[in-house]
Amino acid sequence: MADDVKRMTAELVRDPSSLVFLRLGEVLRADGQVEAARKVALTGLERHPDLVDAHDLYARILVDADDVEHARRVWNGVLQLDPRHQGAHMGVGFLHYSRGDLDAALDHLELALAADPTNKSVVQALHAVRDVAESVVSEEPEDAFAGFEGQDRGILLVDRQGRALNGNVLGTEGRDTKDEVAAHLAGVTQEMERTARMLNLGEWKWLIVEADNGNAHLTPPDAASLLWVVRDRDMPSGRLALLADRAGAAARTWLEAQHL
Amino acid sequence: MTRTYAVDPWVEKPLATFVDEAGARLALLMTPAGQVIAQHGFTRAVDVMAAAALGAGIVASTGEVAKLLDEPLFSVLNHQGERHGILLGGFDTPRGRMVCLAVYGPESSPGIVQLFFEEFSRDVRDACPAPEAPKQVLAADFERELNESLSALFRT
Amino acid sequence: MSGRFQGILDTITRVRGVRGAMIVACNDGLVVADSLMEGVRGNAVAALASSLIKHAANATAASGAGAPQFLHLQGSRGALLAVSGRSEILIVAVAEPSVNVGLVRLELIRAAEAVN
Repeated sequence: MADDVKRMTAELVRDPSSLVFLRLGEVLRADGQVEAARKVALTGLERHPDLVDAHDLYARILVDADDVEHARRVWNGVLQLDPRHQGAHMGVGFLHYSRGDLDAALDHLELALAADPTNKSVVQALHAVRDVAESVVSEEPEDAFAGFEGQDRGILLVDRQGRALNGNVLGTEGRDTKDEVAAHLAGVTQEMERTARMLNLGEWKWLIVEADNGNAHLTPPDAASLLWVVRDRDMPSGRLALLADRAGAAARTWLEAQHL
Repeated sequence: MTRTYAVDPWVEKPLATFVDEAGARLALLMTPAGQVIAQHGFTRAVDVMAAAALGAGIVASTGEVAKLLDEPLFSVLNHQGERHGILLGGFDTPRGRMVCLAVYGPESSPGIVQLFFEEFSRDVRDACPAPEAPKQVLAADFERELNESLSALFRT
Repeated sequence: MSGRFQGILDTITRVRGVRGAMIVACNDGLVVADSLMEGVRGNAVAALASSLIKHAANATAASGAGAPQFLHLQGSRGALLAVSGRSEILIVAVAEPSVNVGLVRLELIRAAEAVN
């Protein structure tokens, strides 16, 4: 590591505007050299005041230095400039989690996942916070799709920002993948809306996808949510559409109850 | 942070829309001579200048190939690599020909970038004000204008 | 466009309500061959259909359903339908909202097999 620090420091001396300060600050931070990391981050910020990744690094260093309120302000500033910044959502989520505000922590972690659904550390953090949240909730949330045929295979209600609201989806080997699917569905919906707009297809009504190992149906139960129903290939698309219709009605009932 | 900066403010909105819709990571709008009009995603002036010079070089080279083939100017050139692709496209505006260099990742595609490049070129043409009267360029003015352009492109 | 591709696409556009059909390079989102009614933007259909199927593939893969073979986006004023063929190609149709989806799906699958 010392060699890495030396090499990056030399690069920074040679080219003070180099972005290598981001990695150098991170390496120093991870090594516990908080003061050195802070100096590197602040020097970098002088050169690149608009670089949100530099602000994100600085905020993490502030957390290491126990200056939590300052870190919160920095991350909030990052999110004003870039509302989808994954690092800032993870950071703010962590601060909420530390304070015991699990709902707010989950909100930010889900937004972090929506920014990059392939980031495994976000998935792990989300699962960890969700496990804690489930252990402290005495009453299970009402299952909007209880009694639906094959409900465990995949009926998932999500919001337009890619956050799971109710239901579940199982991926390969029966793994719970609702958070990943929810994040991907936000991207699918944005693409559908753009496609419908540019090809003059009008308002989108539904999407059917027949895939190698299953069929899926996506509909908007209301303006703010999406419903994803997945079944094995042996359920034809037409029957899947009927099932999705009934699930949509159940989703609307559940959503209305949440608004009351 | 990745932001869109332009020497002329009327370019900012079309370029920001193009970057957003096409999923471009870096974008540069310039004249065929390599003079930068707007940029998105670059954090260092030296990178902008290098990209503009290389882009202008490619435009000049393909222009010569087009001449050899007795073809009109090529409008779009698209290269797709393993992790990144680049689009280099030219279009005419009331202020003369402009060239766009866009770098995109695997989350986008040549088709998407090309589609929104067409929209972008139309938006720029629509937003472009009438050409200014030509003025004499002195060496000192040139240096001052270059510095002003760099300031605008990086908000320094 | 080659006569072979033209013949393949004509079987799709003969279905009542189909406004255009095309063969698309899925990874690039570029048109390989098309047969379109006036007003249908071929390059937009190709780019957007391939992008949509890529996004949908992320969701189906995470849902344990694997890779998409057929996709149908229904809008209030029209529909987009696509079938994946081998060699990274897509056969795509743009249609009126009331089109016989089952018939278009069959013709798209046949076209994909013929192109393969």
